[in-house]
Amino acid sequence: MQNGPPIIGVSPAIERIRDLINHVADTGLNIVISGETGVGKEVIAQNLYQKSPRRGKPFVKVNCAALPEGLLESELYGYERGAFTGAEQKRKGKFELANGGVLFLDEIGDMPILLQSKLLHVLQSGEFAPLGSEKEFKTDTWLIAATNHDLEDEIKKQKFREDLYYRLNIIKFYIPPLRERIEDIPHLINYYIEMYTSQYNNRSILQPNSRILQKLSDYHWPGNVRELQNVLKRVLVLGTWDEIIGELDYNSNRSTNTVSHEPNQAKTPQFTPQSLFFENGRAPSLESFSLKEIKKTALDKIEKEAIAYVLEKTGWNRSRASKILKISYKTLLYKISDLGIQPPLT
Amino acid sequence: MQKKYKILIIDDSEEILKTYKKFFNKKKYLVSTASNGLDGLKILQTEQNDFDLIITDIVMPNISGVGIISIVKKKFPNILVIAITGWGEHPELLASEAEADLVLEKPIDLMELEKRMVNLIQSKTDQHL
Repeated sequence: MQNGPPIIGVSPAIERIRDLINHVADTGLNIVISGETGVGKEVIAQNLYQKSPRRGKPFVKVNCAALPEGLLESELYGYERGAFTGAEQKRKGKFELANGGVLFLDEIGDMPILLQSKLLHVLQSGEFAPLGSEKEFKTDTWLIAATNHDLEDEIKKQKFREDLYYRLNIIKFYIPPLRERIEDIPHLINYYIEMYTSQYNNRSILQPNSRILQKLSDYHWPGNVRELQNVLKRVLVLGTWDEIIGELDYNSNRSTNTVSHEPNQAKTPQFTPQSLFFENGRAPSLESFSLKEIKKTALDKIEKEAIAYVLEKTGWNRSRASKILKISYKTLLYKISDLGIQPPLT
Repeated sequence: MQKKYKILIIDDSEEILKTYKKFFNKKKYLVSTASNGLDGLKILQTEQNDFDLIITDIVMPNISGVGIISIVKKKFPNILVIAITGWGEHPELLASEAEADLVLEKPIDLMELEKRMVNLIQSKTDQHL
């Protein structure tokens, strides 16, 4: 781990990330790393740290999504003895522990808004106060944050403070999902096969042939590199590729993440209050306005659209559709007739 | 004759870069451009302390304008930096904290920008005389 875990890949995006790391690792400027879950945001943070003058100093990680608000606050800033019931001893916070080194704030997009204000204050002043303390302490930490949220979107929804966003986003890294850089897949496979083979008592793992590789490249990898790691571990245990690949859910490929790349696909269901309870675009009269009725109508409509959508995606393969919807085959047939879902006219 | 000033312009909009470049070329400046912070930084590193002034946008991919200002002020303290902030963006404070020599808000009047650039460069040269 002398230089941090290696960043594997040959795609232009990965080359660019390596380049950016080399140019900014010595700056100590605040950084935000974004990308879907499992793309390797912490790997980037580790590499930045290892190439920085802070290498050898603490690297402290806090997952902002894993702790409730109160705990997260005391985790970050620590507390004095008697700060609250149960605070029997003074405890150091991560800001103090990371002093001189790196504080890696994972899932920053999940930080409650009140704590965002406090973090902003620390970034502006370079000082923090443990809970129950009247004194502020100087802190010299390099802040690297990571998120799988679109923070600009969160700002619009008023879930993320704009001023904090600008203060954190001095340098930004974006790691594209694995499906957008499939040229990296063979390199990642080689790397992990070698790593796991030595870890698992040199149990050998079959290199995937070109047919398997094609299959792996066609898959959309919602869990990204982490999912690929899990697949490889299972192949190692079971000794076969075909079975594992057979378990990958190719059906959900187009329904979620690749929407924008697939012009000819089924329309994603969209629900608005109007579409849910307005009949023919008109609101129901007040006499017939019943929440129970609206709920029933709305649920029926949602179910209908969702089922029709999955049926369309599976080419009306009802057995596959029932599996995706996680309802029995019989229930699906009943719903189709009850909700009046029509097969396409072909 | 006045010395030709060498400037670097960093902005993620190709349109804006083109406009700046055309304007400053006409005014006989030596103009380099980059469409993001990282490319701008690379140009600076290869041409070293050769630039008189940098004009940078603030909100950009990879290295933001604030990042550029901080890095330049540390590694190339002789180069002047003008930060341009966009509509509805509020990082002016950050740009000043990073010690930009001047912070201007869009829309930019190019004639005015040039005037203030020349003032900045000349007042700096005067200090050194």
